[in-house]
Amino acid sequence: MKILRLLPLALAGCALLCLPPPHHATHAAEAPVTWSRQIAPIVYQHCSTCHHPGGGGPFSLLSYQDARRRGPQMVQVTQSRFMPPWLPEPGYGDFVDDRRISDEDIALIRKWVAAGMPQGNPSEAPPAPHYNADWQMGKPDLILTVPRSFTLYASGTDVFHNFILPNPLKQTHYIRAMQILPSVPQVVHHANVLIDRTASWRRAHPSDWQNGFGGMELEVDAGNIFDPDSHFLFWKPDTPVLMEAPTMPWRLDPGNDLILNMHLKPSGKPEVMSARIGLYFADKPATQHPMLLQLDCDDQLNIPAGDSNFVVQDSLRLPLDVEALGIYPHAHYLGHILEGWADLPNGQKKWLIRIPNWDIDRQSVYRYRTPVFLPRGSVLHMRYVYDNSENNVHNPNDPPIRVRAGNRSVDEMSHLWIQVLPVHVPPGSPDPRLILEEAWMEHRLTKVPGDDIALYNLASALAGLGRYTEAAADYRKVLTAQPGDPRALNSLGAALENAGESQAAADAFTQAIASGGHACDARFNLAQLDLKRSDFPNAEQQFRNMLKQCPDDPDAHSGLGMALEGQNENSAARDEFQRALQLDPANFTALTQLGQDAIATGQPQQAIPLFQAAVQQQPDDLETREHFAMALAQSGRGDDALQQLGEAATRHPNDPEVHALIAQLLDAGGNLPQAIDEQRLALHLQPNDADGWNNLGVLEARSGRTAAARADFLHALQLNPNHQQARANLNRLPPQ
Amino acid sequence: MPLLHLRLPVVRFKAMFSRLFPAALLCLSAVASAAQPFGTDLQGQPVDHLAPSGSKAVVLFFAASDCPISNRYIPEIERLQRAYGSDGVRFLWVYPNPTDTAAVVRAHDRQFDITADTILDTSQRLTALAHATITPEVAILLPAASGWREVYRGRIDDRYISLGQERPHAMKHDLELAIRAVVADQHVPPPGGPTVGCSIVPRNDQ
Repeated sequence: MKILRLLPLALAGCALLCLPPPHHATHAAEAPVTWSRQIAPIVYQHCSTCHHPGGGGPFSLLSYQDARRRGPQMVQVTQSRFMPPWLPEPGYGDFVDDRRISDEDIALIRKWVAAGMPQGNPSEAPPAPHYNADWQMGKPDLILTVPRSFTLYASGTDVFHNFILPNPLKQTHYIRAMQILPSVPQVVHHANVLIDRTASWRRAHPSDWQNGFGGMELEVDAGNIFDPDSHFLFWKPDTPVLMEAPTMPWRLDPGNDLILNMHLKPSGKPEVMSARIGLYFADKPATQHPMLLQLDCDDQLNIPAGDSNFVVQDSLRLPLDVEALGIYPHAHYLGHILEGWADLPNGQKKWLIRIPNWDIDRQSVYRYRTPVFLPRGSVLHMRYVYDNSENNVHNPNDPPIRVRAGNRSVDEMSHLWIQVLPVHVPPGSPDPRLILEEAWMEHRLTKVPGDDIALYNLASALAGLGRYTEAAADYRKVLTAQPGDPRALNSLGAALENAGESQAAADAFTQAIASGGHACDARFNLAQLDLKRSDFPNAEQQFRNMLKQCPDDPDAHSGLGMALEGQNENSAARDEFQRALQLDPANFTALTQLGQDAIATGQPQQAIPLFQAAVQQQPDDLETREHFAMALAQSGRGDDALQQLGEAATRHPNDPEVHALIAQLLDAGGNLPQAIDEQRLALHLQPNDADGWNNLGVLEARSGRTAAARADFLHALQLNPNHQQARANLNRLPPQ
Repeated sequence: MPLLHLRLPVVRFKAMFSRLFPAALLCLSAVASAAQPFGTDLQGQPVDHLAPSGSKAVVLFFAASDCPISNRYIPEIERLQRAYGSDGVRFLWVYPNPTDTAAVVRAHDRQFDITADTILDTSQRLTALAHATITPEVAILLPAASGWREVYRGRIDDRYISLGQERPHAMKHDLELAIRAVVADQHVPPPGGPTVGCSIVPRNDQ
């Protein structure tokens, strides 16, 4: 009976296989499939990126002998689409490095194995690709090694381990590429690198941070600067080097730690892991700043035991135009169907990703081949389906139990990260990421009103957007839940100060200091308030108090320098600025103050490197760039000075002062006609400037245009009848 | 390392095998169809006998040094050997693939701390005897009048459902249940699902 039932099926299958495809020449269908002609190119494209000696695959597939050894397996795993690992459904997002193998290639592998895996003519085979097991781009600029090796036990369930790698450098660097050498790539499913800006995990585990810690997900303390996560620093076995776009390197500051989060799979023998991270520096900071947005449904995760169709959904309206650059869906072992899409304002549904059969072991970041434009008002959606039945083979609980959100592998997660780049941002707008942050945090608070982190982040975004009163109100809400929290008090003080409530600000800073904890920020802000009020003795006292608590804080030293300078203690001030620069070569205050000091003491050449570093820190700071140009001009480098002022004019096109300075430099360089144009531009921007009209008159007179010069001097005198120079210049003009 | 002191009894066991049981040797070789050995040991010596007389059963673990799933099961086999190896059950690692030469397997056994005896199935006689097709497949053989009788062939447990489908940990330990049944002289339950791993490479088409 069995044979009778099977035969027609087998025949049908054979008939399908044996019929020549309609559009192929008959001889092509008859030609035997060989390793050399058809299979090697498929394997080299789809398999050997991992399956090579030293690669992430458990065995090599570089040679005919290798492939012949695995032939039947290759048929099995390609037909089931277990290999190459690729979860997204085709047609739901167009991704870089799409690893999906075509149906045609799968059929060729099947035919080859069925025909006995012939090699064919070896000379027809393409050369086997060459893989470098070491650093792909040469020696990295910085190599970080895990502080202690980690022994992965021989067997058991998968392991999630986090290694802390402190950044030893004392200067900010921008990272254009990163490579992870896991030391035993075969046991690493995937890895993520997180930037712990405040070394929060290391500080929380002072005695044993070198061992790292377990866990699948972690939160890090981002510190006081608005600096949202912006890059997917994700590794999977065929990712040799993670390259960033030239405009988007990521920043690594002194004091940052990298946390290497690894998903490890026991191999059968103990494996000693000693991973290294290689970083390649860019020579310029980023000019474009993407941001990672997260949709999540963790609050909805409460999955009854046995439920095979538990659905969660989240959505977020975009407050501005963005381009989606990449996407990273994430769930644990119960995730089944993972979907992300955007509903556009025109009603169109734009798929961002769809994973019909989730597998945590094969998770990945997916980057769009071309950025996906999502106009303002688009709504991002995620919809995940979980299977907590015993039929889900990945179910870690036997028998199934109720599962909620959590960090362990037996808990669940429901995250969809999207990397977006704000576009069409009008010049002069605040950082558009703050607007995204505001929308995102508002949304989180609608889901979980008591989410203090979201509330704090919202308040900080509002403060960043200059909406200080609203920010102060939200910080006060945080303080209702966490009375005396020094960070919230300090932030409240900063918001109040910017809102013009100096006394309330001082009170908040004082409360933060009184709360007892680490209050360097509050002390700094309180001292800054004194500086602002020109109360230099009090400021000095505050900074000195601050230095007792945090002696190596460069801002405290530069602040103390300012307080001393205000009291004309210039030499002591210089010492403090120099100390600040020792601690942080990029300390802006120290750079600019020492630079101005050098100009004032007639050493413009010493000022040049200081201002050069300062404009790198704050390229938009007009005053610094003008000082830089002055130092250059005084050092006889007029053209370089003009270039700096030109840059300043590009960044501040409506600033009359810059054009007036350019006019002076052009005049000094003998370029009178252009000098006159620039001076006219300056006066166009600031018509009531009597000095400016006088200066224009001088330029006109020098170029022989006496009538025009006369009109300019008269204009100056009209604005300011007591303008002595204008009157003298007028008298010097030859009579009409 | 508890594995280290387990090595000693194995060596002593070998010595007993050749010196103290000549009668059993003669008897076994008679049923094991004449002169052809089962394979060779890692020193290249032919292995004519799977187990000394009086053994209750032989557990053959078909392994491949380059098969990841086979390797991942090594600690589990070692565990079973520690648990049941003293009840007259002999564990043998069988390497059937042509690329697993003595040198390759010696290095592999060292790396993975494999303590049981190893046979290179140079003629794939054991593979044929056990009808094994995949690593890691396991066969349990019981001594019988005509040589060996296979009472179990298949997977170790249900951690792997197919290539690409894997449970976080095994829920059903088929092999352990079978060994327990053998030790207790009870009916041996068959495996509950297919073996998942790497195909054994036939030697005859080399």
